[in-house]
Amino acid sequence: MKEDMVKLISAEGFEFVIDKKAAMVSQTIRNMLTSPGGFAETEHGEVTFPEISTTILEKICQYFYWSLQYASGKETEFHIEPELTLELMMAANYLHT
Amino acid sequence: MGGACSRKRDQQVNDDNLQTGVSGRYTKSGSSKWLGTSISKASMDVILGKQSCPSLMDLCIYKIREDINKYSTFSMLPRDISQQIFDDLVCSQCLNDSILKAFRDCALQDLNLGEYPGFNDSWMDVISSQGSSLLSIDLSGSDVTDPGLNYLKDCKNLEALNFNYCDQISDIGLDQINGLSNLTTLSFKRNNLITAEGISSLSGLINLVKLDLERCPKIRGGLVHLKGLSKLESLNVNCCNCITDADMKALAGLTSLKSLQIASSKVTDKGVAFLSALNKLTLLNMEGCSVTAACLESLTALDALLYLNLSRCNLTDDGSDKFSKLQNLKVLNLGFNEISSAILVHLKGLTNLENLNLDSCRINDEGMVHLAGLFRLKCLELSDTEVGSSGLRHLSGLHNLESLNLSFTVVTDVGLKRLSGLSSLKSLNLDARQITDAGLSALTNLTGLMHLDLFGARITDSGTNYLRSFKKLRSLEICGGGLTDIGVKNIKDLTSLTLLNLSQNSHLTDKSLESISGLTQLVSLNISNSRVTNAGLQHLKSLKNLKSLTLESCKVTANDIKKLQAMDLPNLVSFRPE
Repeated sequence: MKEDMVKLISAEGFEFVIDKKAAMVSQTIRNMLTSPGGFAETEHGEVTFPEISTTILEKICQYFYWSLQYASGKETEFHIEPELTLELMMAANYLHT
Repeated sequence: MGGACSRKRDQQVNDDNLQTGVSGRYTKSGSSKWLGTSISKASMDVILGKQSCPSLMDLCIYKIREDINKYSTFSMLPRDISQQIFDDLVCSQCLNDSILKAFRDCALQDLNLGEYPGFNDSWMDVISSQGSSLLSIDLSGSDVTDPGLNYLKDCKNLEALNFNYCDQISDIGLDQINGLSNLTTLSFKRNNLITAEGISSLSGLINLVKLDLERCPKIRGGLVHLKGLSKLESLNVNCCNCITDADMKALAGLTSLKSLQIASSKVTDKGVAFLSALNKLTLLNMEGCSVTAACLESLTALDALLYLNLSRCNLTDDGSDKFSKLQNLKVLNLGFNEISSAILVHLKGLTNLENLNLDSCRINDEGMVHLAGLFRLKCLELSDTEVGSSGLRHLSGLHNLESLNLSFTVVTDVGLKRLSGLSSLKSLNLDARQITDAGLSALTNLTGLMHLDLFGARITDSGTNYLRSFKKLRSLEICGGGLTDIGVKNIKDLTSLTLLNLSQNSHLTDKSLESISGLTQLVSLNISNSRVTNAGLQHLKSLKNLKSLTLESCKVTANDIKKLQAMDLPNLVSFRPE
């Protein structure tokens, strides 16, 4: 895995390899990856989320990339499926996103 | 999330401006105060930033609002999340009695429902289900009655309760909540039912820090029940005209008091004498009380006193020498009293003064010499006094002065030269008929000016050349009738302007609108009584921040402004003609 990528692992063990820049949209992940000597995550570029399901983690990764696009001026709509909203919200709250 | 309307916990009960009637910084004074400018300068000082990327949390909250009817309960969510959903629904005014049911047992902490439409007793059951989690609730302006208030009985941890303007809550209601001993803040302004008996229910609320009873006309004799509230720091009984000297006696032992507001009560010198042991008192508001300078004797022992409001007290010069003992005062309001320049010699030593209000007093040039040494002055209000040009020379050394009001004084152009060194000035009011272009020419050094009021001054096109020096101007009023389109061209580079009033200049045409089309920060614009027409409105399309537009007595119809609002100016909330 390249250095500018990170691996996010869902509760079911599904792995998402995404740009570090995208993952850092989350304040929580940013802290994990940048705090000196604190987390094992910093070294391996891997973060496991035992409480976030694969479906939700995928949606979150989509949001990270959407957010980067938005910041660069491409203001599209981010679609959220009604049945995911509450679970997604709890994850967003945890991730400070 | 919803930054404009989400309120933080510690702001639950709106903080009154402690300097009410003292600081004129954000209030219009001078001639334009009667025109009812609907938007305060304070709100316009907020600079509109670029829309930042919505967080995923925000997006989820919007989504929930959209599908709100699909949710029957939020009680499985962690409290901080359900609180955010609740706040969003309140803020967007989407909450109603059926949606509220989804918040049963959500352990919410703060219910900021002040002035919320439709809020009545039927909501209180769900509210009480928050139980011991509930820390603050604002039900001001609601239709909640005594039986409704009874539901709060079990919310034992409640710290802040506000039922201002609830005209159906009486002594019975207060009796029901007398066990909420964790309350630190309680406010019920403008209640016509509560009497001294109701106040007696508060005697057990020993943790009360802040109590607001403004405009409760029937609480006569009630303050005696507050005697045991040893933690009370702030008490507001402004405009309770049943409050008398005897009530002050009841407060004599409340030595934690830092702020006491008794404006427009029946308190006299005799009552003020009871306050002499309140050695933590920093603010005392006695506006409109029948007190004389003799009451100052009782205040001289109050070393902590910083803010003193004695406006509209019918004070005379008699006994005014006592002012000299109030050495620590920072803010002194003596506006609208029968005092003359003779009093000012006694203020000479109050070198800590930062804010002095002498509005409409019989002050003239002679007295100004005594202000010359008050180097900490930031705000000086001399509106409607007899101060003239020769008095201003004594002010030329007040380098900390940020706000100076000389409206309706007899100051002339010649005198304004004396102000040219006051480089801290941010706000200057020169609303006086005798001020002309020549006066303005002497002020071009004042490059920090943000607010300039020349409402009635006789400024012409050539005078507007001097305005170019004031690049930081946020508000400008020139309504003397002397401007044409040529003069308005000189305003077009003042791009920080948020308020512009050029009404009464009857020669202005659509060309003026073209000149100001680049002032995109404008929030309020008034060009009434001019020759502006519907055709000129197209030039305003670029003013996306505009909230208020006034074009009375022009050739402009309400319909055309409405079209402009619908197509191009989404932020416009107030316009005339309407």
